[in-house]
Amino acid sequence: MTQPRKRHAAPYLFLAPYLIFLAVFGVAPAVYAVWVSFETPEAAFAGLANWTAVLADARLLPSVRNVGTYLGLWLPTMLVLVTGLSLLAHQRGGRLSAASRFAWYLPGAVTGAAAALLWLFMLSPGISPFSPLLRLAGVSSGTDLLSGQGLPVVLTVMATTVTAGGWIVVVYAALNTVPPEILEAARVDGATAWQVTRYIKLRHIRPQLSLMLISSFAYGTQIFVEPQVLRSAFTSQVSETWSVNQLAYFFATQRGNFGMAASLSLMLLGVGLLVAAIVIAKTDLYATGARKGAR
Amino acid sequence: MTALHASTATTAAPDTGSGRLPRRAGSVVGAVVMLVSAAAFVIPLLWLLLAPTHTRDRLTSGSSLTFGSFADLGRSWSNLMTFGDGLVLKWLANSLGYSMGAVVLSLLMVAPAGYALAMYDFPGRRLVLNATLVTMIIPQAALILPLYLEMVKLQLIDSIWSVVLPSAFFPFGVYLTYLYYNDNLPRSLVEAARLDGASEWRAFLSLGLPLGRQALGLTGFFCFVQAWNQYFLPFVMLSDDGRYNLQLGLQTLISSTGAVNPSYGATTLPIHQPEAALAALITVGPILVIFLVAQRYLRAGQIGGAVKG
Repeated sequence: MTQPRKRHAAPYLFLAPYLIFLAVFGVAPAVYAVWVSFETPEAAFAGLANWTAVLADARLLPSVRNVGTYLGLWLPTMLVLVTGLSLLAHQRGGRLSAASRFAWYLPGAVTGAAAALLWLFMLSPGISPFSPLLRLAGVSSGTDLLSGQGLPVVLTVMATTVTAGGWIVVVYAALNTVPPEILEAARVDGATAWQVTRYIKLRHIRPQLSLMLISSFAYGTQIFVEPQVLRSAFTSQVSETWSVNQLAYFFATQRGNFGMAASLSLMLLGVGLLVAAIVIAKTDLYATGARKGAR
Repeated sequence: MTALHASTATTAAPDTGSGRLPRRAGSVVGAVVMLVSAAAFVIPLLWLLLAPTHTRDRLTSGSSLTFGSFADLGRSWSNLMTFGDGLVLKWLANSLGYSMGAVVLSLLMVAPAGYALAMYDFPGRRLVLNATLVTMIIPQAALILPLYLEMVKLQLIDSIWSVVLPSAFFPFGVYLTYLYYNDNLPRSLVEAARLDGASEWRAFLSLGLPLGRQALGLTGFFCFVQAWNQYFLPFVMLSDDGRYNLQLGLQTLISSTGAVNPSYGATTLPIHQPEAALAALITVGPILVIFLVAQRYLRAGQIGGAVKG
């Protein structure tokens, strides 16, 4: 309380550069988006016109369905794969575990346009090292693969290889913090390996898995790059408004309607925050403290 | 770290005496699952490393997981350079410039901000922390169109700043650094420095910076990766393809040549599958190297649950 005046000013001076960026590139765009969503293209007040126009647009439902199908495939895949492989690697330990974790983590370096390009090759029979498997699955060309419901599957494979390894690192680290006394007590009580996994380990990594689902959901709903890049090679198979974000971009650039683009972006954001809130409420993410568990 | 050793010790001796044989079989199945999944994850990367060493014919006839020849690698390179007269190298320089610019700017603001949030109690501290958390959760893609409109107003569209400045805004780094200082720099140490007559700025320079090195290193790592992988942002902000970064350039390469879909986008340029693979390799190369270097830090689990996907 009796600090000299200089010390009062110090934290604000230290924070100043960051606060400017926070205002200009964090808060302002969000506020601006809300503002624009209530404006007509001629900058007059539009009321809810943009919001209703978006909801009435015939392209919205297909794009929501596309992204929904993709998330419906991707999120369970991540949950099963990351949980399973982390437990397996942790149970086993040793060199095979370390080498596998390294192998799972490396593809995280190949993202976005490069990942799209790489997986186009991986899924083209003839050129792909997985050709025999592709032939078994009855895929004879890239066109085959991307028509119909193939695209969500391709995107799921792509996103899983890119992000699973990083989350395995996180979950594995969390498994290392299960208190040894508890494992010891379970062993003394005669718990089977399955019971230890089910009642101790799985419970312990719940915060990390929730965090994974929240951020994967948020990033998954925003998908843009991958379908956009796949489209540049397969224009007639991948629609230019395949994902919700592509549709928002379409409103902004093809229609010049920033109001509709902004309201769609905000709806998407709202869904992401809502789901985050639900997952946080349903799990003990804050109670246990995700970061404490990961040490 | 002590927990790590302790728990591997307990899991190394899981045998409870019953069911030796099923356990043995289970362990073999587990090893096979790990090996197969590891192979599935790594084979695409191996393919990417090897593909540019092949001719187009050899690559499409299935000999893709072998090393071709240096001569063919050289040919892939010179073919790739015919695209826009070495445009790929320009994109590489742009990507490096944008990413390093973003890292330097973000570290300049992250270090003092994280330090101040952890070392001082002041009105508005909670507000800043909450705003940081919220902007951290909002995917950047959601803000890109409003950012675009903002940049139009600021007349920065199609300039490098329209990409560098938003990439430098990295709330995740502020949060990470704040947590780190909170746990690792006792306030009493700063208090002692004050008693010795150090100014607030002096205390930050001689205590905060050196003791925060680890968190700042991680922030730099994540910020670089994030900036390098930017696609939507430059896609919206830039129209001159000489200013593109590699991610955006790669898409331009795919769409303007028949590199991926031979039945489409035919040009006279010799850009085919090996050249496209080489371009993709250039795009991911630097990140791959950074991942290799960062691997031992990540394995130690220092970043813990705070990692974003």
